[in-house]
Amino acid sequence: MVLKLHGFALSTCTRRVATVLHEYKIPFELVPVDPSKGEHKAAAYLEKQPFGQVPYIEDDGLTLFESRAICRYIVDKYRAPAGVSPLVPKDTKGKALFEQAASIEYSNFDPYASGAVREKVFKPMRGLPTDQSAYDFCVSTLSAKLDGYEAILGKQKYLAGDEITLADLFHIPYASMLAAAGCDLMTTKGPNVTRWFNELTARASWVAVKDGAKSFSSY
Amino acid sequence: MVLKFYASPFPVAGGGIVALALAEKQAAFDFVPIDLKTKEQKTAEYMALNPFGKVPAINDDGFVMYESRAICRYVDEKFAGQGTTLVPKGTKERALVEQAVSVESMTLFPPLDKVVWEVVVKPERGLAPDQAIVGKGLKEISDTLDVYEGILGKHRYLAGDDFTLADLVHCGYLPFLVEKGVDIMTAKERPNVARWWNELMSRPTWVKLQAEGMKSTV
Repeated sequence: MVLKLHGFALSTCTRRVATVLHEYKIPFELVPVDPSKGEHKAAAYLEKQPFGQVPYIEDDGLTLFESRAICRYIVDKYRAPAGVSPLVPKDTKGKALFEQAASIEYSNFDPYASGAVREKVFKPMRGLPTDQSAYDFCVSTLSAKLDGYEAILGKQKYLAGDEITLADLFHIPYASMLAAAGCDLMTTKGPNVTRWFNELTARASWVAVKDGAKSFSSY
Repeated sequence: MVLKFYASPFPVAGGGIVALALAEKQAAFDFVPIDLKTKEQKTAEYMALNPFGKVPAINDDGFVMYESRAICRYVDEKFAGQGTTLVPKGTKERALVEQAVSVESMTLFPPLDKVVWEVVVKPERGLAPDQAIVGKGLKEISDTLDVYEGILGKHRYLAGDDFTLADLVHCGYLPFLVEKGVDIMTAKERPNVARWWNELMSRPTWVKLQAEGMKSTV
């Protein structure tokens, strides 16, 4: 039975998972969940995802949520396609450096990037007022954190080393929305961040989902 | 050369969870205190270990890394076969641990970090907490713990019946609230959360760490 991804086309977290499914060429069915109708808070949904967040997957008898945990599971369970290096290294030190990079993403990038996007993109979409000082705080903090990225990416191609890993891919959904939120840091912070951001957003897996994730059966 | 572990000398926050993981794995290490009051973590010497200028970090015979939850995972793998298994090997079991670890870092930690800043850090600097931020943060944490209540009614720990990394990562920041008299973890309305929290706080490794502090094993 094909992997079912319960989410919606333009959701950042749904597209995070869909990117990795495309990287590993795994067929999947997108089962739509409409948050504007409160479907993610309905009793049937909460049975599977008790925090009422999007997405979750059903695969081979396992129900799993948290997009980054889902991506790790995909890499753990399935083989990388021929000629593609695994998105999580197998050796102890390589894996540890991946974990460090994955932690950098959720501690140093996500809170500020998602906060900026929430203030200037999601809130206006929902008719809510932007909190300008919250936005300014997110952008100035993100700028300081990206100084760390600029240093790291001057020494190696990707955040965990010279091979791309899940840690790089985790950044793409919110990084790609910063320009729409009026923040150009991904292409103005420095040449290394710019090079890395442009490479990530040019990947075929992201190009396939960036305008909306959808069911995909043949690669 | 034995693993060098750099952190603030108090067994709390990110340094605290790494210290707990090292204890759970019965690992040998040399503790190197970093003085946050003098901003030693922002010196060029320390930032050569962690370019983000934060504690903790480790140097394991030349292998340097930072980010507390990542260090815990490395320690689990390096010392596999001794002490507690923090991340199981089976694909499904591991996925459920990753799910629970992700909930802590993505859903619980952001408001918790804000509340700790207001009620712990600001008073240390002579500043008054912003009660609106505290109130909002505690409500978000409480809402998350309401979901934990359901989960912990089904099994003993967050990812199943065994203690794992998913439970361990909660020992870094929640104790700050408890110490400040916020009884969010033992509220009567959430008996399963209270039972789980009391078990965590009674773990011999935790009790010993709090009693003896950060100490080299060598």
